[in-house]
Amino acid sequence: MLNYSLRRLAWAFPTLLLLITVAFFMIRVAPGGPFDSEKNLPPEIQQNLNAKYHLDEPLVQQYFRYLGQILRFDFGPSFQYRDWTVNQLIARGFPVSLSIGALAMLLSFTLGVGIGTMAALRQNNVLDHGLMGFAMLGISIPNFVIAPLLILVISVYWGWLPSGGWEWNWRNMVLPVITLAMPITAYIARLMRGSMIEVLHSDFIRTARAKGLSEFTVIRRHAMKPALLPVISFMGPALAGLITGSVVIEKIFAIPGIGSFFVQGAMNRDYTLVMGVVIFYGALIILFNFLVDLIYAWLNPRIHYK
Amino acid sequence: MRLSFLVILLLLSFGVFADEKLVRGLGPEPDSLDIHLAQGVSALNVLRDIREGLMTLSAAGQPINGVAESIGMQADDRLAIVHLKHDLSWSDGSPLRAADFVRGWQRAVTPATAAANAVLLDPVVNALAIRQGKQAIDSLGIRALDEYTLEIRLNRKLPWLNWLLAHPLTYPLAEKADAGINTNTSANAKVDQRNGPFNGAYTLASWTPNDRLVLLRNPHFHSRETVALERIEYIPIPNPNTELNRFRAGELHMTETIPPARFDWLKENYANELKVYPYLGTFFLGLNLRQPPLAGNTNLRRALLLAIDRDKLTALVLAAGEKPAFSLVPPGLGEYQQQYPGGAGQQQAAREKTAAALYRQAGYSKENPLHLELRINSSSTHRRMALAVSAMWKQNLGVVTRIVHEEWKVFVNNRSQAVITEVFRGGWIGDFPDPVTFLSLFISDNVQNWSGYESLRFNNLMALAEDQSNPQQRLQLLQQAEKQLLDDVPMIPLYYYVSRHLVDQRVSGYSDNTLDIHLSRYLDLEQR
Repeated sequence: MLNYSLRRLAWAFPTLLLLITVAFFMIRVAPGGPFDSEKNLPPEIQQNLNAKYHLDEPLVQQYFRYLGQILRFDFGPSFQYRDWTVNQLIARGFPVSLSIGALAMLLSFTLGVGIGTMAALRQNNVLDHGLMGFAMLGISIPNFVIAPLLILVISVYWGWLPSGGWEWNWRNMVLPVITLAMPITAYIARLMRGSMIEVLHSDFIRTARAKGLSEFTVIRRHAMKPALLPVISFMGPALAGLITGSVVIEKIFAIPGIGSFFVQGAMNRDYTLVMGVVIFYGALIILFNFLVDLIYAWLNPRIHYK
Repeated sequence: MRLSFLVILLLLSFGVFADEKLVRGLGPEPDSLDIHLAQGVSALNVLRDIREGLMTLSAAGQPINGVAESIGMQADDRLAIVHLKHDLSWSDGSPLRAADFVRGWQRAVTPATAAANAVLLDPVVNALAIRQGKQAIDSLGIRALDEYTLEIRLNRKLPWLNWLLAHPLTYPLAEKADAGINTNTSANAKVDQRNGPFNGAYTLASWTPNDRLVLLRNPHFHSRETVALERIEYIPIPNPNTELNRFRAGELHMTETIPPARFDWLKENYANELKVYPYLGTFFLGLNLRQPPLAGNTNLRRALLLAIDRDKLTALVLAAGEKPAFSLVPPGLGEYQQQYPGGAGQQQAAREKTAAALYRQAGYSKENPLHLELRINSSSTHRRMALAVSAMWKQNLGVVTRIVHEEWKVFVNNRSQAVITEVFRGGWIGDFPDPVTFLSLFISDNVQNWSGYESLRFNNLMALAEDQSNPQQRLQLLQQAEKQLLDDVPMIPLYYYVSRHLVDQRVSGYSDNTLDIHLSRYLDLEQR
């Protein structure tokens, strides 16, 4: 197990290096540069800017300079937000994205697993169809439709919760968390229902029932763990996506997370910012996939890592 | 005990404890609060609250003395002697003196600073040469004669000097905030001006990117007794719909803009809050004169100009308060008389007739139509504008237009290279309320001359105007220059911009102005 873990971690480095390399050259291929704007800059100012940010060096040299920076965990200064370094921007935005994303995942997991299990136990009856119908609706209505609706009714008409902005209190978190959690809840519920139905039909469940265990104990002791497997493998990358912010949610609710940096950074050709968030996201995905594998082994006695 | 509790409750219900804080929408996140690096409107607006130059702006948007006590012009208006107010200090209590301006201006033109707006200082002696690395920094035409007196030497007369002295680029820089000129080692090791000291009506208390900027009243500001509000919060909200929601939910007192599509609805439902006012800017379509089919074909270009019904475009298609335009220089610039291109002074039906005739003269017809590319950067307003314009060209002339949508950076890049463009989205917001900030775009060697317009007569008139000391005659020369420009049709003016805000009725001291600059120091908020 330890051996396996070390090997997985060792693989993370070439994966990240590949990611960095591809992202670095791809963003540079995009036409236009960080300093192109409505007002054209006189050539000498453009030159000064390029020199200041080392953009006048050959691309390969810039690449190695960048790798050197990353080894020191320095993502460099942002081109667009010129008073901030990328490290500062991520450090300020990530706690916000993390709390909203983690809360949304917690909510989705609890609700999704509950709903999915209930639907599986009442397979093909009214409750099952009703819950799955709702789940389908949750998946298909995009969050840029849900969010403005929630704001209009709950904030503008009723004035119960703030329509946006950020404070460290629950009132500012409710609407974004609900909006973010809805499609994920629905997805987890469907996954859970499917796998639970499959597990409930397997031999060891029949054995458990034959022993005379109560239905609740059968579910809790025997069915839950294996039924969670597909949900867990979905949750790894999904969690990495959720806690790195959602550009739609952040825009609509005016939340200072890091999700909008992906889009803004790319649009502004903010090379360092894009690279920073891409590497950060990539590292999280690698980490979470690794964790998922560990949880898998714990949940499923048939899996052994060597 | 119970009584005091009741009293507190009563006081609370009357809002005595409500804090005097004004919450303003800011638009996009500021690009920088470094006076030399800031370019965006949002950044400049915040800087005007936390810092001040020799001049500042009144509530009505007119230049008034800021740090300066008086400004005297000498030597044929090429030398300014500025006396500073006495006993000024920065927000940390340290004295603010003439040397702080010299330090600031020198850093602005230092090549290593790479200040995008540094061009504005080019009329100052040696500024351009220093910027290009050809002269020593201390040769810049600004000098502290003593603690309270500055001498500014200019290459030429500068009719907009007062406006320049109110621009954040020319603000003073405290010694503490200056990490030393010539630090070109790393972009990280640059001056951090976020921590102050400041010299404006407010100080920057905190700044969380994409969240808010908190400003607190500056106890060291020279006119502190006139500043009503203790606390200002700027909220960056790039999305106008989000901003509108927050205004409706009572979380903002002023918005930076409105969603254009909600204009009619707002007129009906927020008539008292909606402020629409002419803005110092013109939207136009640029024409690339460097290559066919538009090069050397003035008749064709004029046909395209006249065939567009601007009243329909602004009233029905854009429908968010814009004003139809036939000129580059927007109205409202003092005594400057608006100019119009030939053929514009008739009814639209007659213009369209003229346009059709000119189109035929240029050698095109229904059977042999002109094929054009109209290049825009994607936005819903631009898309509607482009569709309407191409429909009008099709209907009135028979032109076949292909609309090319481009992502922002791709678009600005293509436009400045001027190789593949034919007709493209243009537009300009003036730096100062002077016709020159618009007209100079079309001087042959201007970097913003996206059309590649080259007219000897236009260049000469602009040069004559620059040297002309009589203000009346200067304006006349500029009028002649614009007339020439409009008749040559290197661009097609479509509409003048307007500023659009929602302002809570409890806000007082707000005054419409063409620069759309509203310093927080003049604002007050009536307590509920």
